[in-house]
Amino acid sequence: MSHTASELLPLTGTVAPPDSAALAGALRQASADGTPLYPIGGGTSLDYGLPARAPGLGLSLARLDRIVDYPARDMTITVEAGIKMSVLAAALAEQRQRLPVDVPQAERATLGGVIATNASGPLRYGHGTIRDYVIGISVVDGRGMEFKGGGRVVKNVAGYDFCKLLVGSLGTIGVITQATLKVKPLPESSALVACRLRDHEQAEQLLAGLVASRTSPTAIELLAGPAWEDEPALEPIEPAQTGSGFGQLVIALEGTAVEVQSMTATLADEWRAFGVAAHVLPPERAESLWKRLREFPAAREGGQPHFAPKAPQNEPVPNAGLVAKINVPASRTIEMIRLAGEIQPDCSVQAHAGNGVIVVRMPSFPSGGISRLWIGRLQPAAQQVGGSAVILSCSQVSELTRQAVWGRPAQAAMLMEAVHRQFDPKNLLNPGRFVYS
Amino acid sequence: MRSPTTLASLADELRAIVGQSGVLHAGSDLLVFECDGYQIEKNSPDIAAFPRSTDEVARVVRAAARYEIPIVPRGAGTSLAGGCLPVGGGLMIVLTRMKRILEINLRDRYAVVEPGVVNAWLNQALAGTGYHYAPDPSSQGACTIGGNVATNSGGPHTLKYGVTVNHVLGLEAVLADGRVIQCGGPAEDSPGLDLVGALVGSEGTLAIVAKIWVRLTRNPQGCRTMLAVYDTIDEATDTISQIIGAGIIPAAIEMMDQGIIAAVEQAYHFGFPLDAQAVLLIEVDGLEAGLDAQRDVVAELCRQCGARNVQFAADATERQLLWKSRKQAFGAIGRLSPNYCTQDGVVPRTKLPHILRRILAIGEKHRVRIVNVFHAGDGNIHPIILYDEREPGAIERVLQASGEILDECIHCGGSVTGEHGIGVEKIRYMAKMFTADDLAAMEHLRTAFNPENRLNPCKMLPTAGGCGMEQIRPGRRAAL
Ligand SMILES: Cc1cc2nc3c(=O)[nH]c(=O)nc-3n(C[C@H](O)[C@H](O)[C@H](O)COP(=O)(O)OP(=O)(O)OC[C@H]3O[C@@H](n4cnc5c(N)ncnc54)[C@H](O)[C@@H]3O)c2cc1C
Ligand SMILES: Cc1cc2nc3c(=O)[nH]c(=O)nc-3n(C[C@H](O)[C@H](O)[C@H](O)COP(=O)(O)OP(=O)(O)OC[C@H]3O[C@@H](n4cnc5c(N)ncnc54)[C@H](O)[C@@H]3O)c2cc1C
Repeated sequence: MSHTASELLPLTGTVAPPDSAALAGALRQASADGTPLYPIGGGTSLDYGLPARAPGLGLSLARLDRIVDYPARDMTITVEAGIKMSVLAAALAEQRQRLPVDVPQAERATLGGVIATNASGPLRYGHGTIRDYVIGISVVDGRGMEFKGGGRVVKNVAGYDFCKLLVGSLGTIGVITQATLKVKPLPESSALVACRLRDHEQAEQLLAGLVASRTSPTAIELLAGPAWEDEPALEPIEPAQTGSGFGQLVIALEGTAVEVQSMTATLADEWRAFGVAAHVLPPERAESLWKRLREFPAAREGGQPHFAPKAPQNEPVPNAGLVAKINVPASRTIEMIRLAGEIQPDCSVQAHAGNGVIVVRMPSFPSGGISRLWIGRLQPAAQQVGGSAVILSCSQVSELTRQAVWGRPAQAAMLMEAVHRQFDPKNLLNPGRFVYS
Repeated sequence: MRSPTTLASLADELRAIVGQSGVLHAGSDLLVFECDGYQIEKNSPDIAAFPRSTDEVARVVRAAARYEIPIVPRGAGTSLAGGCLPVGGGLMIVLTRMKRILEINLRDRYAVVEPGVVNAWLNQALAGTGYHYAPDPSSQGACTIGGNVATNSGGPHTLKYGVTVNHVLGLEAVLADGRVIQCGGPAEDSPGLDLVGALVGSEGTLAIVAKIWVRLTRNPQGCRTMLAVYDTIDEATDTISQIIGAGIIPAAIEMMDQGIIAAVEQAYHFGFPLDAQAVLLIEVDGLEAGLDAQRDVVAELCRQCGARNVQFAADATERQLLWKSRKQAFGAIGRLSPNYCTQDGVVPRTKLPHILRRILAIGEKHRVRIVNVFHAGDGNIHPIILYDEREPGAIERVLQASGEILDECIHCGGSVTGEHGIGVEKIRYMAKMFTADDLAAMEHLRTAFNPENRLNPCKMLPTAGGCGMEQIRPGRRAAL
């Protein structure tokens, strides 16, 4: 089902240093030898970003997985980067706390991987992203130099904020060895409220209505396409009376039991004014739907591997699958979903619609379609409204150009490169995989 | 070189860009720019320019680059760490003419503003929309959003809502060579490095912020504000840990000790009990449905920790008076002492009892009186050291006490600044908080943006700041 790191990356070997000093040593050695290095966390998304072409050494964070310090009453925790997200969540849950950043495959994905990829899930509407929670970070850069930024207190403006710089840097500024996080209390109660959508217009009306809602949702998820059609958790919700039918809207509410109760009632009232019935999912269904909402970007269709193993280069895979992320201002969400559907009618989407973040899964993407449909139509449409479109995963390796994966270079690309050069002058960290040329 | 003739010719070039009234060149006109809220060191810039657009900023910066003259960006000049001090003179770019709110977009929950927009103006413009801009430094009536971005400002409501960086979506900025970049913007997760995150809090040393996309926050449905009164400081600080430990994150928890209570009471007559050792100003906000229950839980925790009295703000007027007493506490300090120096340090919340005891002991040791009013929920302390500069040796004692307090913050695992920044004032502490390699990494980042170090030189990093300035008097008149 899942692939090993060496299937996904051109590895000559893998090392798993026991501590940050050893890791720094490995980086210094690699720097001296000019060996490319591939940091590996849980290995859940090594195919993300541009395919790696230069053979190099895998640098596993597996042994850096300790909880260094957890002063629960300060609501901060310091952990090593290789800690699994599920292990972190369990430790926090013992103190009725959590890191409200939800990613797929939490049993495998590591905190370092989440920081390096800036992964996020439905909760980002109410709680922000990992960027909002990392308050201190320790890093070893491409030369093997260890440095840190931030600290262990929730408020700190001493020096430059390396935490932010490392978030989403895909391991190209340095290897993250340790992080201090701000955490939150676990909510006492939560609920999912769902409805079926009649058409695009109604969907936009409801989304716009949520901006003025008297509730405060923690997630606003718009689901459409075949992947969601047989979703058992949503089955009892009656189909739309009229129109062609367009997906479902799922709202997550959290708080004290009283607050959640009040919000579900308020939301039902607000939706009634739009002629829409709100369904509060019973707990078991809510739980199973929530799991699907978390796993969607990584999930594979019908038990089959969603993606063929990495094809040898230059050998196009017919009807390859593609998972991508479109980011637009929230009001453009529906427009983008509509366009994605025009481009590939069998696509399924999960939109974090309150944020304008749309995960698109296209189980079959025609050969040559990436340049024609993706770069030709979808990317420009997203850029037109101030957004972007990036490929998270695609088996059609031969078509994965820089433009295909990351879009047109940002206006600040030169500056990003200049920053990168300062930390990885020999370009040895995940070389060629990120936005840099 | 900056001879009078080259400066005159630069001034001419600048006038061609920003107009006659947009350039100050005469010595006396420049006096108001010789310092910001940090008045210990002073130095006039050689020239000040007041651009009205990003394009003008870029052209001014390019002119400065041709003349190889250093640049200091400035907003309202309320910085308390000397970020606006033109060390070695140079060109000051004052952004207060760029004061338009360019867009308010409620559907997409953002606003676009120019850097010179005063923090409070944006919220005035948002009144009635159901949304607000969350960062609320106590200087919000004067400070600019550009300055807030440069210093990553916080405020009383940081506890629940976060600091400036949590609310900035995108920036347009002018680099030291005059190039204009945009990072982030109205859509989230733009591919590539998070340059927004790097720029926020960079104290004007990486780029000049020329346009800002800020996230708007839904107004809470309601709030409950209360005052808990304590006979000991330990009971008050213990309460903070208990509330947060119970899984409640109030919108704000602010603490005042006896010394400051007396001053505030004289100034605002709220009815603070003068014999109390400490009071906590606590606000919870959110859905009306849960608020009374939450207020009661918090009040009960206060009592369990030893509060002798918990008083609720009865109405909006009482709430406003409470907040006014807090936000303008510093104005009241003049009643206590002819001079004072405010520090800004952070400790883990649970170390508050310890640091407050240490502050007391440090005050006794150096024979200075210290009063406290601060963002207790964040562990962000602001000890105010009272003194009389006419008294021989007083200044040295104040400086020693300040230093020992900040050292203790570091020792507790905290920081030497929670919201005011390093500027010129705290450069010497950087090497205490960070290793040589940490500082080298910061230098690398600075080099990538600002390779000739002409943008706000001698600030923030000791390596870039060896300008031979000795602190001779205690810092900062006012701070919250
Ligand atoms: C650009 C991008 C965006 C993504 N966005 C989303 C999203 O919006 N929603 C979602 O659900 N999932 C998203 N993902 C998937 C996400 O990556 C995974 O859910 C998870 O975070 C990966 O964790 P892992 O430990 O398995 O990392 P791995 O698969 O082991 O590594 C992932 C990448 O991070 C690097 N890396 C790992 N650990 C470190 C470290 N300690 N220091 C430096 N670099 C390291 C690796 O070199 C590799 O390039 C995204 C992935 C990418 C690449
Ligand atoms: C009474 C009082 C109370 C205060 N309370 C708080 C508080 O609660 N929380 C808090 O965080 N701070 C507080 N401060 C400090 C200060 O108000 C903040 O740091 C504020 O953000 C500074 O804004 P400003 O416009 O005055 O910036 P300035 O003082 O003009 O500049 C501050 C720094 O930012 C740089 N800068 C300014 N504008 C730009 C720009 N457009 N681009 C790049 N760099 C720029 C300057 O070079 C300088 O380094 C307080 C100050 C006072 C006097």
